Amino acid sequence: MNLLPDFRFHRPETLEAAVQIKAATPDARFVAGGTDLLVNLRRGLGEPSDLIDLTAVADLAAIRRDGDALWLGAGVTLADLARHPDVVAGYPAVAEAALAVAGPTHRAAATLGGNLCQDTRCVFYNQSDWWRDGNGWCLKYKGDKCHVVVKSDRCYATYHGDVAPTLMVLDAEAVVAGPDRVRRVKIADLYRESGAEHLTLAAGEMLAAVVLPPPGGRRAAYAKARVRDSVDFPLAGVAVSLKRDGDVIADLRIAITGTNSAPLLIDTADLIGRSWDDSAAGDLALALRRKANVLRTTITGAKYRRRVMQAMARQLVGTLWDKG
Amino acid sequence: MSIRQLRKTHVGQVGVRTPLIDGVEKVTGRAKYTADLPATGALAGRILRSPHPHARIVSIDTSAAAALEGVVAVCTGDDCKVPFGVLPIAENEYPLAREKVRYRGDPVAAVAAVDEATAARALKLIRVEYEKLPAYFTAQKAMAPGATTIHAEKPNNVLREVHAEFGDSEAGFKAADLVREKTYSFAEVNHAHLEPNATLAEYDPERGHLTINTTTQVPYYVQLKVAQCLEIEEADIRVVKPFVGGGFGARTECLHFEIIAALLARKAGATVRLLQTREETFLAHRGRPDTTVTVKLGMTREGKLTACHLQATQAGGAYASYGIITILYTGALLHGIYEIPAIKHDGWRVYTNTPPCGAQRGHGTVDARAAFEALMNDMAAELGLDAFEVRRVNLLPSIPYTTAYAQRVMSYGLPECLDKVMKASRWAERRGKMPKGRGLGLACSHFVSGTTTPKHWTGEPHAAVNLRLDFDGGLTVLTGAADIGQGSNTMAAQMVAEVLGVNWKRIRVISADSALTPKDNGSYSSRVTFMVGNAAIDAANQLKTMLVEAAARKLDAKPEDIEVDGEIYRVVGQDPGLPFHEVVKAALVDTGPITVKGTFTSPTEFMGDKKVRGSAIGATMGFCYAAQVVECSIDEVTGKVTAHKVWAAVDVGRALNPLSVEGQIQGGIWMGMGQAMSEETRFDDGRMMHGNLLDYRVPTMIESPDIEVFIVESIDPNGPFGAKEASEGMLAGFLPAVMDAVHEAAGIRPDALPLTPERITEMLDIRDGVQ
Repeated sequence: MNLLPDFRFHRPETLEAAVQIKAATPDARFVAGGTDLLVNLRRGLGEPSDLIDLTAVADLAAIRRDGDALWLGAGVTLADLARHPDVVAGYPAVAEAALAVAGPTHRAAATLGGNLCQDTRCVFYNQSDWWRDGNGWCLKYKGDKCHVVVKSDRCYATYHGDVAPTLMVLDAEAVVAGPDRVRRVKIADLYRESGAEHLTLAAGEMLAAVVLPPPGGRRAAYAKARVRDSVDFPLAGVAVSLKRDGDVIADLRIAITGTNSAPLLIDTADLIGRSWDDSAAGDLALALRRKANVLRTTITGAKYRRRVMQAMARQLVGTLWDKG
Repeated sequence: MSIRQLRKTHVGQVGVRTPLIDGVEKVTGRAKYTADLPATGALAGRILRSPHPHARIVSIDTSAAAALEGVVAVCTGDDCKVPFGVLPIAENEYPLAREKVRYRGDPVAAVAAVDEATAARALKLIRVEYEKLPAYFTAQKAMAPGATTIHAEKPNNVLREVHAEFGDSEAGFKAADLVREKTYSFAEVNHAHLEPNATLAEYDPERGHLTINTTTQVPYYVQLKVAQCLEIEEADIRVVKPFVGGGFGARTECLHFEIIAALLARKAGATVRLLQTREETFLAHRGRPDTTVTVKLGMTREGKLTACHLQATQAGGAYASYGIITILYTGALLHGIYEIPAIKHDGWRVYTNTPPCGAQRGHGTVDARAAFEALMNDMAAELGLDAFEVRRVNLLPSIPYTTAYAQRVMSYGLPECLDKVMKASRWAERRGKMPKGRGLGLACSHFVSGTTTPKHWTGEPHAAVNLRLDFDGGLTVLTGAADIGQGSNTMAAQMVAEVLGVNWKRIRVISADSALTPKDNGSYSSRVTFMVGNAAIDAANQLKTMLVEAAARKLDAKPEDIEVDGEIYRVVGQDPGLPFHEVVKAALVDTGPITVKGTFTSPTEFMGDKKVRGSAIGATMGFCYAAQVVECSIDEVTGKVTAHKVWAAVDVGRALNPLSVEGQIQGGIWMGMGQAMSEETRFDDGRMMHGNLLDYRVPTMIESPDIEVFIVESIDPNGPFGAKEASEGMLAGFLPAVMDAVHEAAGIRPDALPLTPERITEMLDIRDGVQ
């Protein structure tokens, strides 16, 4: 038996109402599919005073054309996202990434917004209350010590979302609604590299939608390393978008997940204008090594996760390059 | 199969694909599991567990918890001074720790309160002062000289050391053309049964009676041990096993939470519902221990085995549980599958400060068999011999056969199993010619059809079944056997249907309720079909005799002249005879309702040989045999091994219910696949890191290969209608078969399981000389 803590429950029908409740109750949490939040709450990870259920906000569940861009409501389920004709036709990598998340029953409930805003994870954090108590708690919650990087003053819990990196390499934007205004930021700017506070959303803000710009001749793909091909979070994930111009790379974006406290874009400036060959692959490996900081936050060792991230990135760029 | 075909084939009779008799309840959600049972007014129980892997308990202060409003009872080790354990010679576990805690999670105190939240709050108010002791998480460290003892009576932390030799192994190795020795390591695994542990304990303070509904495979062991720990009469306890969501060995002994629920219920004088979390279910454990196996084999140029020496060391966890039997089984099941002139066995079962291991599907044999078969495959390759040929030259020469361990083999379908999978997998054409990254592998395995030497109720029949007939013509099978999803209720009903030839709908089964059903030892060691099946046949035969006699009286004929045609009883050659309800009416005249009791007792020649030390363990009436070929591929980028297809042929004696047998075989192979590919428990300084189904990686549907099952029927002379075990024997073979397939796919020979991407990439790096 894992009891949920006591909370007040809200079910607003408009975005404005949802944001107002959030702004008025800083301790409140949004919940949609609940596949991340409820599991954590049942383990005693958090005791929010209020839960704001977003599933009655009709606007959030829409996928629609927005000029030549595609608007994805944050409340769209991953299952719907993965089968929407405009997504499948224009942004197959987004559908691929959505289908890589967890299992079919999770995807039927889990939403795009929930997936992007999911909590960071760590083997010293995603444990029962009794377990964490016996381990002296941790820096992310209730404690002052990091068990991953001892003596660290910040939490190294890892971001394991599958969808964010693909949106990042497609240059998508997040629509963030606050009590006073709606702002747009690059997906990458939703995050900061800090395990205990990895989202940059302000206290009263919520992620309302994602806007995908036209693909513009880019080919994209997502690869995920995991032990089981269902259920598992990525031990490492790599999204790549590539535009090839004859024998040179015209544009290349790479983003990684499952490695750091945030999904991160890799600096690929050095590779633009070059051909994809061993030398370019070597430079990519170096760029990945510079950015990725894989630590023992999962049951699978860090060495494997570093290795597989490198191998998948190289394979993925090669595959997209060969497709032309 | 269409409904029409089903009708044609007399569902329920032997050899007919018969849906489980209680299957509809389960798939429609009507089935009530322990946690679903109505528990109005029940108190909520919760357990406080040790945060330390090894520590002396200096003091426990429960006063604040007891004073909390809504708390009705608090128990500690002071409430039970009687230890329990499944083996009478190794009872060293307390339901609530006394003096010491020995693993992180060892229960220390328990609370019954008006609701879950109050119980949880109360636990936080209990103050326990510990004095930490050195803790050991590997067998090697626990056995090291100078290690602190985990149990005072075992100064070297070895629960049991076993040394045995049959034949002259030294001479055998000398006679060999090739001798190889290799060490394999197998990670600890858990059953990952889906239903978490739970007990509903109702105490009647007036009469001092206790009723326990619980998630068990052995309700009568629960009755014994709860009585022992509460120091009350067994007769004061009624144990009921509701629907159970899997067991696989995890529930083949009374476990701490069951006794704790009873202690709380008695102290509270009320009903206590004790639900365990997934993490607590993993802590109760009883899985297959982390095992290191060093195996040495001698082989002639033709592949004939000349000798085997197997050494096994198991990190068994904090308490004895089944440990002594597990370590003995690593040796006992070296016998009975091949003819080997000399077998030497050394085993060490070691205490460690981790959750206690116990019995798990394929008990004791899996890791030893996997190491043996893997080395056999290596050596076959080295000698340039085909893996099938090497098995064939080592087959038992003639049946019946008596092993050096005094096991009698009365039926042996392994040769046919080999033929079936060789042909189906197109081994001869494909093996050695697979595309890069893909491979085929073969292995064999076997398992007992029940142990003939139970540790409790020695001297009683091995099984007893009651069969009731009343005026309504309904037949009720009453059996203590615990159906845990394996289908024992259906099997018992089938035995009756087959003997009496009655309509399947006429039969009901009531099982595993100590107030109603005759005692059964429980669902373990694949004993139920063999033993309970035979007892059910005995009961049905007795009833049939009575019905025939009644019909004879009614028809004014001699019993030997009565012919039974389904539900019609008639004098031979005469129409129309008596319908079933008329026969029943006739049978009940004078006697009233009838209950007959059928029993089964294993003949003593199947109970081992007193001259062969240890042979009481592994003594059985028959072995299930299996051969399987696994096809896998390796992705060298991610290091992932994927099993694509399994061809499995299994000698089950006789498939009483081919539908159910297929399911059991697929489940057994699937469980072997889990152990081979991804499942392992993980501890960090004694902290269980895997206590959930994300980090304990049971395969998902996507990982599940197509498993093509070939049923081989050797018709065992003693089995019920020829049947033997059908759900454990095939498990072990998956491990060495996929190891061999991986070798063909990638040129690496794994010596550690599971074959996670992490392990595979390390092996690929070694193969490629990568630093």
